[in-house]
Amino acid sequence: MILSIKKPLYVFLLLVILTACNSATQPARTQPTENNNQATSAQHLDIKLPLQEKSVRFAVIGDSGTGGRDQYEVAQQMETYRQAIKFDFVIMLGDNIYGSHQPRDFEKKFEVPYKPLLDAGVKFYASLGNHDDPNDERLYKPFNMGGERYYAFRKDEVAFFALDSNYMDPKQLDWLDENLKSSKGKWKICFFHHPLYNDGRHHGPDLDLRNRLLPIFQRNGVNAVFSGHEHVYQRMKPEQNIYYFVLGNSGQLMTHDLRDSGDRAKGFDTDRGFMVVEIAGDKLYFQVISRTGETIDSGELERR
Amino acid sequence: MNIALKLVITGILSFLVLSHSFAQNKDETPLKDFQQRIAKYLEARKKNGVSTKPTDSADKLAEQKHQAVEKTRETRPDAKQGDIFTPQVGAYFKKQIAAALQGRDGAKVSASLRHAEPLPNVPLKVNEKYPQDLPLQSTPPTLLLHLPRLPDELHYRIVGQTLVLFDVTSNLIVDFLPDAVPKP
Repeated sequence: MILSIKKPLYVFLLLVILTACNSATQPARTQPTENNNQATSAQHLDIKLPLQEKSVRFAVIGDSGTGGRDQYEVAQQMETYRQAIKFDFVIMLGDNIYGSHQPRDFEKKFEVPYKPLLDAGVKFYASLGNHDDPNDERLYKPFNMGGERYYAFRKDEVAFFALDSNYMDPKQLDWLDENLKSSKGKWKICFFHHPLYNDGRHHGPDLDLRNRLLPIFQRNGVNAVFSGHEHVYQRMKPEQNIYYFVLGNSGQLMTHDLRDSGDRAKGFDTDRGFMVVEIAGDKLYFQVISRTGETIDSGELERR
Repeated sequence: MNIALKLVITGILSFLVLSHSFAQNKDETPLKDFQQRIAKYLEARKKNGVSTKPTDSADKLAEQKHQAVEKTRETRPDAKQGDIFTPQVGAYFKKQIAAALQGRDGAKVSASLRHAEPLPNVPLKVNEKYPQDLPLQSTPPTLLLHLPRLPDELHYRIVGQTLVLFDVTSNLIVDFLPDAVPKP
């Protein structure tokens, strides 16, 4: 009788002891910190770049500076991929700081989200968008603009030209023509805010800018062009041997913005993202990654 | 060819040469006037020591900008609309903008203006800052090719139908010309 009354109690105690023993044999669970998540994710990344020795590797972001949660989540993915890919610089396609440009905005919209990258020594090279303050940003040293609205820099055999498409005055056009002509870069890459080709409904292509820049690009052997402004990702079909990418969704997003013109090879308008690029010899490898870590687009392009 | 015909042809040619030269002179005066006003503005600005330099600190950037704004304002405390875009200079600019819009690439310029997030109701005031939380409307390159070149310290901006002259360092509005761009 006594045994029958106490039976459930014995069973309960036995279960408690067994659970305790089981827990003791399991490895201790760690707190799900950011770093642990990144380290775990980095091991399971689907890297599409060949990661060759002595290649030039960089990331691309556009229309990033919202200071919102989505920008931070993209930035976190970037750090995860940096650990695996070891890119050492980022090109920014404009709209780097939206809204006011008070010191707290530079913190919230740039310094804090990209802190892990900045701490790892990654350099950011900015171009100016229509939401940027040209004077503040060109003088802000972490943007590496050297105090100029437009500038050039070189990474091994790749020459980069950051342009100010808000104000493409004759002086800038002359500068671009001369500097592209005299560049010894095997690859010539231009980046600026307003896209020359664009299937987005919101803005569309900048026809006058295209009219002025295209002849300069063509006569000086530009290989690839990166732009932002339209808050989506687009890889356009090559035009006259030049590859065009639009990436304006690293902070902002315009969902279901794309129309089909037949000019586009790939588009993505349902989430935010960033791009990683590797250039080795005559090949440019690229991979576009969404905010949630999904690979949206990837491929290799031949220098023409 | 008889003498009468020769005289008629010479007369027509002379008229064409003279009218062309008259038109050129007509344009040269406002252009020269504009350039002189710009030079005077820059000289005063230089005397007041308006300058900025690259820095790591966003706080220093804000401080530099504040200084630049104050010093630029001090150079012309009584500045008002039309000081640089006088009626004659303004007419010249309107003519140049119309030429850009009606020229060979006019359709592309118009398309670019339409796609550049036009902001029709931005409050503009000379010696005040362009509202920082509003986007800048990009200025089509072909339009800029038709306007007199500016020194690096100044930029043209299109804001709706208005042509604005900006001080790049301080982001202050130096002058503006309403209805410079015809409505689409």
